[in-house]
Parts: sequence; structure tokens; C-alpha cells
Amino acid sequence: MAIDNRSDLAELGRSSAAPLRGVKIELGRRYRFAASHRLHTEKLSEEENARMFGKCANPHGHGHNYMLEISVSGDVDPATGMIANLAELDTFVEREVLDVFDHHSLNEDVEAFRNVVPTTENLCIEIFQRLRGFPKAKLERVRVQETTNNSFEYAGENGRVQP
Amino acid sequence: MVLITRKIEFSASHLYNNPALSPEENRRVFGKCNNPHGHGHNYTLEVTVAGEPDPVTGMVLDLKELKEILEREVMQRMDHRFLNYEVAELKGQIPTCENIARVIWELLDPKIKQGRLHRVRLYESADLFADCYRNGAAV
Repeated sequence: MAIDNRSDLAELGRSSAAPLRGVKIELGRRYRFAASHRLHTEKLSEEENARMFGKCANPHGHGHNYMLEISVSGDVDPATGMIANLAELDTFVEREVLDVFDHHSLNEDVEAFRNVVPTTENLCIEIFQRLRGFPKAKLERVRVQETTNNSFEYAGENGRVQP
Repeated sequence: MVLITRKIEFSASHLYNNPALSPEENRRVFGKCNNPHGHGHNYTLEVTVAGEPDPVTGMVLDLKELKEILEREVMQRMDHRFLNYEVAELKGQIPTCENIARVIWELLDPKIKQGRLHRVRLYESADLFADCYRNGAAV
């Protein structure tokens, strides 16, 4: 959050005024949502779907507790010590992602997955598209953990994965 | 290149308050973090050093030495302290995750002689952390 009147910040922020040369700072935040999905595509026969996706192609779907980790970068505002105000970031993520995905069927309830298989790879890309418009900081990457044993990262077309 | 990571935990208190703002503005911007007597966290710090293993010892750096640096530079300075009042390097700054991670980077970078400091990740809680890393560094 930017504070407009900075004229009186003689003391505060003085030592953080000069950015560290060659060093980047990111803020990381984790969220959780629960959703169901089914991995199945009409481009394949039922036998091929079953072979490709195994149990994940079972007709009525199944669910996961997903963990979403996002990283944003930007200047640390000397008035707040923050890259982005957490309340603003949380509100944005709730509106763009959590309200849409949490306790929903990804296949049935999310437009993007009507004709796209909701694998966690595709989920990462969809979440990145939804969050890249955050106006107060630059979205660097998203990481989605589908279970504690697998996770996926996406940093945009030309982005970099975990440093 | 090999990356080597050491983790430590410390506990400290802090509060967010900008004297240039009115009490109402501080409340609005910082919320509960503005409560006047502060509050505390269990911080987790992950320090990653990059380098080539020494051909004789097989080590990027001696972990024992890294442990001592972390004890001296971080634990003795910050563990069981009130960050706003007791850590000189944070004077004049809001002790957010971003600023604490940056201060830790500045403290550690000149002290690590074998290998090169690659990343500092500081968790304030399981769901909130800041990363400080060399821009453009290859993984």
C-alpha cells in the first residue's frame, strides 16, 4: 500500500531507501482451497482415458485439498515496509481464485475447464492468468500443491521458477 | 553448482507503526499489527549458499561454520528480542518480513566466504514469507 504523503518520513525508511544492488525481494503467501475434479477428455476414447488418467478418470470425480503459494515482487514501500499490503493481496486472491475454486467442481464450475483437463499443470496456468492483474505488485510465480507429494509451478511464458 | 540450505528458528516480538501517520491511519494500514504493545512470532529462517564442492572435503562450505555465523549474526541479535527496539539494523524501518529478510541478507552476505549467499527465506508463519535472492542467479 502506497502512502501518499511521504514528506514527513525523515526517520522511517531512511535505511531502506537505497535498494540492495543485485538483490531481489519477494513476498510469498500461501492459501488453501478444496475442490473436486475429474481428469478426462473427449478427445480420447473411454479406454484411452482410463489408461491415461487411471483412477483420476472415474466418472464422478474426486477431490483434493490444494495449497496455493504465490510470490510477488516490487519495491518495498518505506512507509509500510511492505511490497504489497497483505489485506489487499488476500482480498484480491479471495475474489479471483478462492471464491471461484473453493468447494467447487473445477470441471463443472470453472469456465476455463469446460474443455480443458483440470490437471494441476493447467490449474497453475489458470491461477497465474487470474492473478497476474494484481495492481500493487508483480506476480512472479504460482506453485500449487495437489497433495503433499506433488506440486507444480508456473511463472508465465518467460518467467523463472523458484530461485 | 550445488545449493546448500540451513534452517534455524527464532522467536521475537514486533509491531508495525509509522510515526508519520496518524493513529487512525496506522490502524487502517497495519490492522492488528499496530497494537501498541506488540505481538510475537516463531520465525523460521532458511539460508541457502551456492557453490562448488571443495575437491578435498566434498563440501561447499563447512556447515558448522555456517551454523556459527547464523548463531552470531541472527540468533544473538534477534532471538527473544523486541525487533523494533532491540535490533539496531532495523531502526527506522517497519520490521516486516521483507525488511527483516533484507537485514539478514546484509548481515550474512559479507560473512559467507566459502560459496556465495544465494537466498534468504524468512517465514513469519507457515503462510507468509519473504525471499531475498541474487537477481538473475541461476537455480
